[in-house]
Amino acid sequence: MGKLSQNISQNKVVFAWAALTPFILLFTVFMIYPLIQSAFLSLNQTYGPDTQVFVGTKNFQLLFQDPVFWKSIKNTLYYTLGSLFIQLPLAFGLALVLNSRRLKGRAIYRLIFFSPQLMGLVFVSVLGALAFEKRAGLVNRSLAWVTGNETLLEIDWLQTQIMPTLILISLWLYVGFNMIYFLAALQNVDKSLLEAAEIDGAGPLSRLWHVIIPAVRPVATFVVLLSMIGSLQLFELPYILLEGSGGPNNDGLTIVMYLYQNGFELGDLGYASAVGWALALMLIGLALIQIWMVRREEASQ
Amino acid sequence: MTRVELKSDDLQMWVFSPEHQSMYAPMLDEKNAAGDGNDKDIELSLLSIAAIKSRMMSGFFGGLPTADLIEVERSTVGQVFMGPTEAIGFRDLTDRLKAEGLYDQINGPSLSPWSVNGRVFGLPHDVHPVMLAYRADITEAAGIDLEQAETWDEFFTLLKPLMRVSGSADGAVDHFPMSFWITQQDNIELLLMQGGGELFDASGVPTLDSQINIELLCKMVSWCVGPDPLVTDINEFSAAGHQARIDGEAIAYLAPDWMCSIWKMHVPQIAGKMKVMPLPAFTPGGRRTSVRGGTMLGFPKTSEHFDQAWEAALLLYTSPEIARELYRKVDIVSPIRSLWPDPVYDEPDPFFMDQPKGRLYLELAPEIPLRTSSPYNFNAVLAVRDAAVNLADWANSNEKYEPEMLEERAAELLAQAQATIERQMSRNAFATTESE
Repeated sequence: MGKLSQNISQNKVVFAWAALTPFILLFTVFMIYPLIQSAFLSLNQTYGPDTQVFVGTKNFQLLFQDPVFWKSIKNTLYYTLGSLFIQLPLAFGLALVLNSRRLKGRAIYRLIFFSPQLMGLVFVSVLGALAFEKRAGLVNRSLAWVTGNETLLEIDWLQTQIMPTLILISLWLYVGFNMIYFLAALQNVDKSLLEAAEIDGAGPLSRLWHVIIPAVRPVATFVVLLSMIGSLQLFELPYILLEGSGGPNNDGLTIVMYLYQNGFELGDLGYASAVGWALALMLIGLALIQIWMVRREEASQ
Repeated sequence: MTRVELKSDDLQMWVFSPEHQSMYAPMLDEKNAAGDGNDKDIELSLLSIAAIKSRMMSGFFGGLPTADLIEVERSTVGQVFMGPTEAIGFRDLTDRLKAEGLYDQINGPSLSPWSVNGRVFGLPHDVHPVMLAYRADITEAAGIDLEQAETWDEFFTLLKPLMRVSGSADGAVDHFPMSFWITQQDNIELLLMQGGGELFDASGVPTLDSQINIELLCKMVSWCVGPDPLVTDINEFSAAGHQARIDGEAIAYLAPDWMCSIWKMHVPQIAGKMKVMPLPAFTPGGRRTSVRGGTMLGFPKTSEHFDQAWEAALLLYTSPEIARELYRKVDIVSPIRSLWPDPVYDEPDPFFMDQPKGRLYLELAPEIPLRTSSPYNFNAVLAVRDAAVNLADWANSNEKYEPEMLEERAAELLAQAQATIERQMSRNAFATTESE
């Protein structure tokens, strides 16, 4: 019996490793190896694998002195803050409205708000470029028609107001997506707590602040983290809208765009890898700060 | 690095233009059919510019299969020349061109964007001289002979009366003299080169902050600023831009030869209303043309069939039939001087009021400015554009609209642009300039 149970136990271990092996292989090939290779590349300047010069930390030194890199960080943080402080509250507000049983046709509204996600980022970017075009675009035409001020046709959104335009387009694209997360969280709020609060005389705002928000906090934390990571990795939207450049004065250049320009347009994979590592360390740092803040608050409660 | 072998035995040619594909295919089919059995057939593939770039660079870097002949557009060739000269993935054609007498047959300035340190790495496909295309129906109706304008100042003086012909109460402009704006980096580069400015010298050293560039930039920006700008921003490729062209929002446009076919395709409504003329010069007696865009045919070093690929290239690029079709289909003039006497270029073009448009472009072809092959050119053009945008903002904020008033600020901004490019170039451990 002892030998039998030992065999069964060994078989389980073998089976477990067999089940894990495909993932480990894929993870190693597509995550670990590129990470190590990019770390190596960041210490070199390369032009293909046969042409390489070891430069040590020079790429990082140049990076920290590079005003274009810092501009890309500033732009990316601007967009990230816009996402966090405009998009997420709007998504939460929409979720609150669409969670209300008194609203007729909630399913239709949910589809309407979520549908930009179904269209895809590239299509939305192309639509955005058309909508915000100077003179002929929908936005300027609408503004001029509503106000009667024809000079509004001359607003060149994609040259002079790049980041606000990006935030507006991403609002349309992502607010529905984040709304779904909040909606799911709201539907899991304990109804008895809400009823008890109502019975105790708590008004709608009080119930929101003291019952609903604490109840959805874990999901909100997740959504904030996800939005932050997604925002810091912004690339496709400005790349398509600005046709591959960062716009005048690089006002639309994001960190990942700068990485792409250096790696795939200039061919400087070493410098691009240094940008990538700087972004990765920034993301890790921000995520750790957020987790620490949340845990500190939970501990204080 | 071992090269991965292609499954097909055919020679591979990659092109990005559907028009090129439709022109080359019959000739290549004929060649394939006439082959003696020892020669390989040539297989033509149409790929996007981005796909060609990524496959080409993957091949150069990683030993992956590439074509034996690759047509490369100027906007994507920079990365090819980024590394050391010996690492350039295309063959050096200089000696072969000279040995076969082709070097002298090609329009000299057309070789410059594909040359590094005096060595040629691609066969030029085109010349792309730039002329001024204008709404002759509007100017002639107003009794204005625009061809009298030999300088930009004269040009704007002649067309100012057309800005408000209708005398509308709100003072709206009826016709701007020209379509141009400080955010149009390609046109900024084109005009800089026309005026004798350059972003890199012959040895690849950046020269963004030269005095000539400062003066030219100030001139261009002065057109765009103030309460009454002389130019307007019309998108060159969008439906809104085409409508503005139909409406005559601007009289004149900076027109490389290929732009004519874009208009024929997208704005047939202006057929018979346009004419072309040499660009007005910045100074009396100055250059009357410039250049924009370009394509080359490269031969990857990894190809084992260079001689046969070379034969095919000469067939396509020096063929009078293909040159005629190239001009008739897409208005592009050949860079091969021996083909210039062809009467196709003298054919009246009804879109341009029966002008012998091809001949007019060819007359300017030898004068097109030399261009750099520096991989940093695109970034340098963007940096100059940013300087133009900032200069215009400064001009409007300080109500300084004359070119002379802008020079000091332009010098500061171009110095910053120069520093930006120098900083980028300093990172390149492989950069070689003749001065090093």
